[in-house]
Amino acid sequence: MFKKIIDNSMAKSPWIYHINTGSCNGCDIELVSVITPRYDAERMGFKLTGTPRHADIVVVSGPVTSQSKERLVRTLAQVPEPRVIVSLGSCPRPCNVFKGSYSVEGPLDKFCEVDVSVAGCTPKPEAIIDGLALAAQILKEKRRQK
Amino acid sequence: MQILLDLFYVLIFPGFLFCAVVGLLLAGIDRKIVARMQKRMGPPIVQPFYDFFKLLGKETIIPHAASRGVFIAAPLLGLVSLVVMALFIPVFGFTAFSGVADLIVILYLLTIPAAAIIVGGAASGSPYAGVGISREMVAIVAYELPLIIVLLTVGKKAALDGGITFSFTEIQAYQAEFGSMLSHWSMIPAAVAMLLVIPSEVGSHPFDVAEAETEICEGPLVEYSGSLLGIYKLNHAIKMFILTALFAALFLGGAGSGILIVDVLLLLLICTVVTILSMSLPHAISARLKVEKMFKFYWTLVTVLAVISLVLVWMGF
Ligand code: SF4
Repeated sequence: MFKKIIDNSMAKSPWIYHINTGSCNGCDIELVSVITPRYDAERMGFKLTGTPRHADIVVVSGPVTSQSKERLVRTLAQVPEPRVIVSLGSCPRPCNVFKGSYSVEGPLDKFCEVDVSVAGCTPKPEAIIDGLALAAQILKEKRRQK
Repeated sequence: MQILLDLFYVLIFPGFLFCAVVGLLLAGIDRKIVARMQKRMGPPIVQPFYDFFKLLGKETIIPHAASRGVFIAAPLLGLVSLVVMALFIPVFGFTAFSGVADLIVILYLLTIPAAAIIVGGAASGSPYAGVGISREMVAIVAYELPLIIVLLTVGKKAALDGGITFSFTEIQAYQAEFGSMLSHWSMIPAAVAMLLVIPSEVGSHPFDVAEAETEICEGPLVEYSGSLLGIYKLNHAIKMFILTALFAALFLGGAGSGILIVDVLLLLLICTVVTILSMSLPHAISARLKVEKMFKFYWTLVTVLAVISLVLVWMGF
């Protein structure tokens, strides 16, 4: 029973940590708009945390640049299991308009496995909330399989 | 038999289980009220329970730079001291262990959870925690002075022989006979000061300089994860209950109705109202204060309020 309570709580209290790996700031602003009173993701328990140690969901935005690559890998290593990685916007996976640049090392899949990918440049807040809710479910599944 | 009763007191009521459930509920009510004040829907009231159980299910990482023993022991130390405090604070006529502790003990025990945060942060070996603990120390120095003056005022008022009493029993007896402290006008400034001390003691929003997550990544808690972090969150919630219950005992005490259940429900009602007044309201209407601003606020306005009460009581009002 205790295990079940923990499993259910996983989906209901996902804390988000946001890493910017060289995004144009559009996606970052849109992610913040998700926790404003209009969209209020906190009603589903989402909360932005300041440190990767507290995170359940890691949101990555931006094509991975050579400057941010090392930081990304080190930050992801600090997140406790179970964790879910969400790629935000069109940048992290196909590299968007930055593809082929000398300073872009993406896509993100090279460095970690991506669980949820929210497409769009920028994605709408509704789409972000949808992706995060899906991520919360995956978090619960991951916990269950352990 | 006595042993069983003591165990019941420590583990269930008014000890660990009761504190934890009520504390987490109060934290949930606080979050909901703040959300409603900001025109949001807000998380469900049981959200802190979800957070706590989720943290129990996460991996607990102990960093290389941390000193392992202290890192693990610090949150537990805070939890134990909070539960001990719950045993000493009277619920109107009822106290689990009466006659063995008074206000001075409570004053000492109150600093232990804050000290636990400092010790845990120092043991984690993170520079953010270093900044956080120095801020936490400033916060302790800031709110401790008005808190002590408030306690002195209550002690002076409750002593019938002209001295000062620190015994909860006498304070409750006084309030049972002459009406609650809040019904004496000379005590009102002290009550307001106490209401302003509660949020910084708990570390709730406008005064959470030590755990400013947007500036210093949650300060002392930066390296904590999993169940250890869960215990810190539980400590935070229990602290909300303890301090509001202390307020109820000091200013709204009395004989109660004599029936324990009714008294407990009354206490919960008072705790909720005090939580909304002293924590949710400042949280919703104010941004986080700077460290110096907070220090100045407590050593001027709040201390002056407490001193006014002390002087009035000393003159016999
Ligand atoms: S997806 Fe578009 S908006 Fe988002 S970071 Fe990339 S370029 Fe900017």
